[in-house]
Amino acid sequence: MNAPMESFEQRWTSSPEGFRVPYEVFTDRAYYDKEQEKIFRGETWSFVGLEAELPNKGDFKATAIGDTPVIVTRDQVGQIRVFKNRCAHRGALLVREPRGNVKSFDCVYHQWSFDLTGALRGVPMRRGVRGQGGMPPEFDMANFGLDALRVESLNGVIFASFSSTVEPLLDYLGEEVVDTIQRIFNRPIRIMGDQRQYVHGNWKLYAENTRDPYHGSLLHLFHNTFGLYRATQAGVSHMDASKRHSILKVVATATPASESENKEVYKDVRSYNTDFHLQDPSILAGRKEFDDGSTLIINAIFPNLLLQQIANTLAVRQSVTYAPDAFEIVWTLFGYADDDEEMQMIRMKQSNLIGPAGLISMEDGEAVEIVQEAVVRDGKKTSLLAMGGGRAENVEHMITEAPIIGFWENYCRYLGITQVRVA
Amino acid sequence: MSQAITAAHTSAIDALHTAYVAALDQGDMAAWAATFAVADETSYFCISAENDRRGLPLALMYDDCRGRIDDRVSFVTKVWVGTYQPYRTRHFIQRLSCESAGNNQYRVTSGFMIMMTPEGGATTILTSGEYRDLIEIQGEGDNARAVFRERRTVYDADVLPRYIVFPF
Repeated sequence: MNAPMESFEQRWTSSPEGFRVPYEVFTDRAYYDKEQEKIFRGETWSFVGLEAELPNKGDFKATAIGDTPVIVTRDQVGQIRVFKNRCAHRGALLVREPRGNVKSFDCVYHQWSFDLTGALRGVPMRRGVRGQGGMPPEFDMANFGLDALRVESLNGVIFASFSSTVEPLLDYLGEEVVDTIQRIFNRPIRIMGDQRQYVHGNWKLYAENTRDPYHGSLLHLFHNTFGLYRATQAGVSHMDASKRHSILKVVATATPASESENKEVYKDVRSYNTDFHLQDPSILAGRKEFDDGSTLIINAIFPNLLLQQIANTLAVRQSVTYAPDAFEIVWTLFGYADDDEEMQMIRMKQSNLIGPAGLISMEDGEAVEIVQEAVVRDGKKTSLLAMGGGRAENVEHMITEAPIIGFWENYCRYLGITQVRVA
Repeated sequence: MSQAITAAHTSAIDALHTAYVAALDQGDMAAWAATFAVADETSYFCISAENDRRGLPLALMYDDCRGRIDDRVSFVTKVWVGTYQPYRTRHFIQRLSCESAGNNQYRVTSGFMIMMTPEGGATTILTSGEYRDLIEIQGEGDNARAVFRERRTVYDADVLPRYIVFPF
């Protein structure tokens, strides 16, 4: 590693005008490396999968926390386990397929074999061949199990941590996030499929994007034109007590905004187009399925998960990092195991809304990439987060950037960056 | 090849593939939609090989009726205008099989490759994949014209190289 560990800015300054983020945070390898250590492999819980992806004993999936490859599996007694995807012998990737079912994990290199609990069970030629070779008498198989991570599930949503000291998952998530997970994962789910998308940008630009209620109705014409999401709707922009996570919610209201009010708010705005009509409006003909009437919930969970309900589309989006300017979004859509045929069809139609070509998500990929391209050589310049007052405070509306500030305050805390507010 | 297919039908199917490629390579979404039948029960699905292999229904694009095919034209030409970096494509296709399905319809499978060039960028492979089509011949003799009743695009990329605007 050539980058000096502490080369990044130790002091971020903000002014009364708003919160400032230096652009080097999106481009500098030193930040990236420190994030892997202090965030993804630090005192956090990262999303690694859904239990519904691993219904049977021996099922596994390969994924990554930050850029560390891990295996998620269900062992012979049904317990979910997460290991680093690395043989304890010479460091080879143990699992190379994205998913499968096995009785044991066998390294292709020298055939070391690990059971589903991660214990080393077999070492070929351990006692030598014809009295020659073999492992030394001091070699103890018990010392060479797979590196296991801490694992906790909440309603079938699996989180893992490299830390032995991080608080329990429920405390880490906080009450409102726990409620949001329990609301969506209220009964067995049915996986509809995955979408994977490589984004040429920094993962934190997506963390910002998914905590940003301000852009929702401005970037996404479909949202705004068809009223899935407008700033004139009743909504909340909340964070957990630590402000790591955010919950953006549109709530049903008895008095929706009038067309004249919408026209006033969105006059001259490209994304409000009352002349646009659908040939087949059935894509919008969803079904109410939650008693609270919320039709849109965007719950960003630090550091790598987004849980969403947009109309009847339910999905998790996992961020996997590759480099300061590259990450992948893994979308997993799901419905409920007890969905009737009509409901399955509604979810399929509405799946057009999201994903790499989604009607209200395609643009987010471009938003991330155009920031990345523009900031590449101006590391000390800063972005401005000021909409809604420039402070990380819960508000009962969506005209704010507060949850993004909550993200950055925590980011600074994890990386040991001091924030200074100047007058 | 099924022995039932006539030269006129083969040539109509070839012309349909050419029209499809020409439409997308010119970024002409209306011409793309015009390669599909006008009947309501006409569909375009674009799904990853990963989901297809796992028997999962989730598609990248799920246009299960003619109206939604027309709406996809509007999404590209009206809804998304100005929000994506323009890019050009080159499609290359090769027919792999063609079987009669009766009623002047054929089940046709083709391999494809799509090259992508973002404005100001280098040309890269977007994805390869397979078209699984139900193609209908309308009209007789020299007037025979082929249209898609269903095009199921199964793309090979496990990870798409960026966001996607145009159908494959």
